[in-house]
Amino acid sequence: MKRIWQHPEAEKGKTGKNYWRSLGELSNTPDFRDWLEREFPQGAAEWSTDDGLSRRNFLRLMGASMALAGLGLSACRRPEAHLVPFTKTPEWLIPGKYLHYSTAMPRRNGAMPLQVKSYNGRPIKIEGNPLHPYSMGKSDAFAQATILELYDPERSRSFLKDGKPIDRKTFDEALEQLKQSWSGGADRKLAFLVDETCCPTRERFRSELFPDSIWCVYEPLLTGNSSEAASLAFGGGVKVLPHYDKADLIFSVDCDFLECHDGNLKSIRDFMNGRRVRKPGDKMNRLYAVESHYTITGATADHRLRLPASHTGAFVLALAKELVRSGVESGLAELVSAIDNNPETVLGVDKNWIREAARDLIEHRRRCLVVIGDRQPTSVHILGLAINEALGNLDNTLSVIEKKQEPGWNITELADAIGNGSVETLVIVGGNPVYNSPVDIDWKKLLKKVPTVIRLGMHEDETSALSHWHVPQAHYLESWSDAWAEDGSYLSLQPMILPLHGGLSDLELMASLAGVSFNDSLELVQETFRGVVKKRWDAFKFEEQWNRFLHDGFLEDSAAKVKKISFDVINRCVDFLKRNPLRAEPLAEDRLELVFVADRRVDDGRFVNNAWMQEFPDPITKMTWENAALMSPTTAKKLGIVNETVKGIMMVDKVKISWAGRSIEAPVLITPGSCDFSLALPVGYGREITGKIGEGSGFNAYALRVSDAAYFAVGASIKKVDGKYDLALTQEHNVMEGRALVREAPLEYFNQDPNFTDKMGIDAHAPSGPSFYHVPPMNAPHQWGMSIDLTTCTGCNACVVACQSENNIPVVGKDQVQRGREMHWIRIDRYFSGEDEEDPQMMMQPIACMQCENAPCETVCPVNATVHNDEGLNVMAYNRCIGTRYCANNCPYKVRRFNFFDFNQRPIDELYKGPLAPKGTPELLKMSKNPNVTVRMRGVMEKCTFCVQRLEMAKIDWRAKQGASPDVTIPANSVQTACQQACPADAIVFGNLKDEDSEIAKVKTLKHDYALLEYLNIKPRVSYLGRIRNPNPKMPGADKIGMTTINEMHHHGHEENDGKEH
Amino acid sequence: MESSATTLPETQIMKREPLVTNQRSMAWITDKVSGIVEGKTPSWWWIATLITGAIAVLVPIFITYLVSTGVGVWGNNNPIMWAWDITNFVFWIGIGHAGTLISAILYLTRQKWRTSINRSAEAMTIFAVLCAALFPVFHVGRVWFAWWLFPVPNANGIWQNFKSPLLWDVFAVSTYFTVSLLFWYTGLVPDLATLRDRAKSRFKQIIYGIFALGWRGSNRQWRHYEKAYLILAGISTPLVLSVHSVVSFDFATSVIPGWHTTIFPPYFVAGAIFGGFAMVLTLLLPARAIFKLHDLITQKHIDNMCKIILLTGTIVGYAYSMEFFIAWYSGNEFEKFTFMNRALGPYWWAYWTMISCNVLSPQLFWFKFCRTNPFVIFFVINCVNAGMWFERFVIIVTSLHRDFLPSSWGYFKPTHVDILTFIGTIGLFVFLFLLFIRVLPMIAVFEVKSILPEADPHYHGEKKG
Repeated sequence: MKRIWQHPEAEKGKTGKNYWRSLGELSNTPDFRDWLEREFPQGAAEWSTDDGLSRRNFLRLMGASMALAGLGLSACRRPEAHLVPFTKTPEWLIPGKYLHYSTAMPRRNGAMPLQVKSYNGRPIKIEGNPLHPYSMGKSDAFAQATILELYDPERSRSFLKDGKPIDRKTFDEALEQLKQSWSGGADRKLAFLVDETCCPTRERFRSELFPDSIWCVYEPLLTGNSSEAASLAFGGGVKVLPHYDKADLIFSVDCDFLECHDGNLKSIRDFMNGRRVRKPGDKMNRLYAVESHYTITGATADHRLRLPASHTGAFVLALAKELVRSGVESGLAELVSAIDNNPETVLGVDKNWIREAARDLIEHRRRCLVVIGDRQPTSVHILGLAINEALGNLDNTLSVIEKKQEPGWNITELADAIGNGSVETLVIVGGNPVYNSPVDIDWKKLLKKVPTVIRLGMHEDETSALSHWHVPQAHYLESWSDAWAEDGSYLSLQPMILPLHGGLSDLELMASLAGVSFNDSLELVQETFRGVVKKRWDAFKFEEQWNRFLHDGFLEDSAAKVKKISFDVINRCVDFLKRNPLRAEPLAEDRLELVFVADRRVDDGRFVNNAWMQEFPDPITKMTWENAALMSPTTAKKLGIVNETVKGIMMVDKVKISWAGRSIEAPVLITPGSCDFSLALPVGYGREITGKIGEGSGFNAYALRVSDAAYFAVGASIKKVDGKYDLALTQEHNVMEGRALVREAPLEYFNQDPNFTDKMGIDAHAPSGPSFYHVPPMNAPHQWGMSIDLTTCTGCNACVVACQSENNIPVVGKDQVQRGREMHWIRIDRYFSGEDEEDPQMMMQPIACMQCENAPCETVCPVNATVHNDEGLNVMAYNRCIGTRYCANNCPYKVRRFNFFDFNQRPIDELYKGPLAPKGTPELLKMSKNPNVTVRMRGVMEKCTFCVQRLEMAKIDWRAKQGASPDVTIPANSVQTACQQACPADAIVFGNLKDEDSEIAKVKTLKHDYALLEYLNIKPRVSYLGRIRNPNPKMPGADKIGMTTINEMHHHGHEENDGKEH
Repeated sequence: MESSATTLPETQIMKREPLVTNQRSMAWITDKVSGIVEGKTPSWWWIATLITGAIAVLVPIFITYLVSTGVGVWGNNNPIMWAWDITNFVFWIGIGHAGTLISAILYLTRQKWRTSINRSAEAMTIFAVLCAALFPVFHVGRVWFAWWLFPVPNANGIWQNFKSPLLWDVFAVSTYFTVSLLFWYTGLVPDLATLRDRAKSRFKQIIYGIFALGWRGSNRQWRHYEKAYLILAGISTPLVLSVHSVVSFDFATSVIPGWHTTIFPPYFVAGAIFGGFAMVLTLLLPARAIFKLHDLITQKHIDNMCKIILLTGTIVGYAYSMEFFIAWYSGNEFEKFTFMNRALGPYWWAYWTMISCNVLSPQLFWFKFCRTNPFVIFFVINCVNAGMWFERFVIIVTSLHRDFLPSSWGYFKPTHVDILTFIGTIGLFVFLFLLFIRVLPMIAVFEVKSILPEADPHYHGEKKG
């Protein structure tokens, strides 16, 4: 069919930015629609998609962003200048090749330095910035998922006035009027309620443009208690920075520092580097974790203590006392004696546990580190600092650095100010305070008192609904900005693409409010940059420095300076501690503790409309698509709450949780390892106004959260309500059934018997034998292999989302997850072990396709759709697959995934409608796909291929570089799979087994390397390094730690070979 | 003989039971069997055909839904990638076995009693294989490419994978179907000629005439016929053993505990014969009662079939227990777990249904009373029909749902599409059988005549009393 394009004429007088933005509207004029429907009723839907991004607009956008990509970084975001596709391609742009740009993702604890992979002008994959120490090329699940966030078809697309779409001009005019209405002193009537982005330009605006305005920073999961404690202890304007690389013993108190959103990638890497045991005698750090509910830090810990969050303060005090008793001098003794108004023991904690832990800490003076979770009150943080100081950790494993941000008002203060009518204009930037601020702040009432509420948000949400003006916010991948990393280093943020929906960045809105005139927000950032570099370099080098800043993604040596300050315990802190005593109130089934925890998937709720995050199984509970209250088996038994698997689906009881006059209903998931009478409530779900993905998922735990008990609360009661609730778990069986899957040993055992992994399970008896089947000779110069270190894997799932993004893996929805049809190519198996069902140990094991040399899937495929290549890859010919699913049946690892429906083409809530459901991927989602990986259709099997597209690209690049040289072997360690590249703990090693210089070749020779299900003689190319724990032998119960797999599997093990009785 | 002294008293020679009772004549047999086809269509036939036809329509409806929407409309999941689809396939293909066994092996071993049941058993085979073939074809994710299973030259230049048992299945089942059809049709020719000769209407004469291929019953034709039939019987005999052996290879050659078992080929063949005979009886008992065929399908026939069911059922029971024994004896923890899980895991009910139906219920056939009471027989054979379906379900689903890594264990439950498609194939099967008995002689007239005493005028073999 011949396609005729009648380009609608541009309205006269519309130039500049309005020009291209108005095309979207133009293409939706009735005339245009009529024409479309008349000419091509079939194609009409495709061209003016519901997501509002028409094909033409899309092409324009592409052209424009290509120009941006090509003309580079000095070009401003001036779309009107570059609307046509290239007539002259920039010389370094090779179609089909990726370009990488440095940027950073704003996070509440400090931005994450990133490098974004851009393909023909559209960002498609997030990687860490390899140059910056806070990333070293690593990233986390949230960062990975922002690609989908960028292309979320349900992002806010238009300016709204009282909920009705308006155009940009109307808003600009209104803003002008508003500004004119402000007299000189009106600044005080202007209040900002902003999220935390650690943005220096924003800080500059605050002090330069809005010095007298109210500035309130609100992040529901950012307490600031740690900074407050540091300020009290060391004087204002500082924060403490732990150095896990320098600590041999880490004592984590209610602190999930291995979870990326709570800690940072550097702490994970530093900590894990101290744990990477290669051979007997290697040093290994030790981790003690005290926590109320299982976290991945607790799962990694060598000693884990279940303790209610509300008892933690008393516990830290008991620990301090024990340290003092064991001879720790310094101010700690005085501090403890000065505030000693507590009982001797912490409820229910084994005294020996505290005593031995304290002794261990003393043995590791100056090399240990006590970290306190952000959730804990300031007094606990002070005590933690005092302990660190007493143990000589200050300036060794913990340093004090200057904090670059001034604290603002807190949200209660702002609410009070609004309450007494002193705010006339409220500007809410990012976040979603109406949804996630403490429930005692009644926004519905308060916002009525503010004459003008302007809200900048990426989504139209609860806060937008109560605002007068809603302004679509540009994504961080669409904006110019800058940020501080956690260590205070100065990072650049640059746009990868023009704002897809014409959104404004926070800086643009703030500058407009202040009447700053600018052509592009780039100038605003450059201004800040100029201020920063002025101190170091001559101004005339500006361009060069700026380009370098953008290229590297950060300014060299810009990290905050370490401050040497002494800790004056008594003078500064005793009073505070006396005012805020640490109590441990007893808990019971009618007096429960509530702990509000960050959700590992949706964070504080910001990722609730992100399907990748919704479908990614929680590392601990393996739950997808919603949250549940978590409680220990004992608590459940006392309250008569049951979980049962009915026909493969986890059916749980629902309860009504009441606290302080408020109540919510929530399903309860029983989780081993939770402390008794404590209920973990993951926040972020139960949104009222959100997109289709987040709609109706989970319950809203914020509804119980008040400002003076925002992180945990004691005294809640629960009542079972009628009815069962079905959860979607990706793993329902939690024990290994005595099978030698995860193989684990304590460090001492490993030192004596380094190849303990070869003496477990059936594999110890069944040596590999010959095979009748011969795959093609594997004699290519590259022989790919992978090794996963179970000691350093935290189970954080960054690899899962990275793989999803790299390999265009579809999401399937809750219903399909319940049916066991999730599509992840790599998954993390989580097992509990140990005799104590209440308090088991946890193990993680990432499983992806093992690329068996003797692959059982290949022999059974009748059409040769999955075959072996000479590099040892088990490759998939998607086009050849007819979908017999025999390969998946015969896969012992169950890593093959089948497209039961057209997950890419049909809406996930209409899968069963078949051809009656709308077909086609929204244009926006198409943009998020990796063009180097086939998007699979229904009826096709798929699985991990070691990111074969990356391998091929690396080989091609190397050949191109080598020219006629016969050396086609790519340099060692020069290619990374997506999972490996994301892994913050560096637990995944991948490379060419044939290359002796490669890391993988070395790792595979380690004694504790083992293959899973080796006895099947399938010769997997992925192997594991046995998990090693480092328990303190003097601790109570230490003899069981790390020993469960040895104990359970020993009767299958080497003893028989030795002829011993057992 | 007569002149020599008789060493045994006459009364001690046990009389062989006649295969056609009441001393029916050849003409009576022709009239009786042809009469079923020629007579007025009974009203029950219309009702039954309409009902089963309506049920059979479920097949195209749900296959259409399946193909247009995706395999996800079934309950299959990860790790249970095969469930009712392959269960039904093996179930139906197994049923087909009795037909070939009766026509080929019993023919070669000169089991004369086969003559009154072989025709309908062969028809049953063909209908069962048709129902069976539906599943492997339509269970694939992209059925429009299912032709890639056949070695058709194509532009991709990709050949089939001859290591795959699934490919062996394609050849085994298609060969089996072709040979069974030929065998059945060859055997039908003389009877078609009889129907042609007896036909009153011109239309029938033409139709039967075409299919009778000009059969005139000449000596020469009989000679050719006998040779052809013998050859086909020779070809079919190994197929009886091979088809279900190949089907069992789908499982036996895999690595999955519960599938990876060398006992499967004989166990599957025994099971198939077991299930096939049960289905033959299921169809013939009502037909015998309705058409009053008691003189042709005698108590002895039924008794023989019951005994075969008892024998094969016991073989199957032996196989079940041997699987357990080997799982224990192998020392393989995965095998052990799989079998314990079958008996005591989430699908215990399926396992014990299978054991009670397949192993326990046929034991009633040790008693003559049970082998002669049609109600007991009907009860047992329907137990066996269900039990054999459950056997395949147990093998497929319980092995897959909990294999090596406990993290990926799952549970299968069928959707309404699974259930209705299967019910549809039952409808289709019975519908086709009803059509068959209406238009073709359900008993091989000429073959039955050949075992009458009159067909053996020299009284070889036995003395007529």
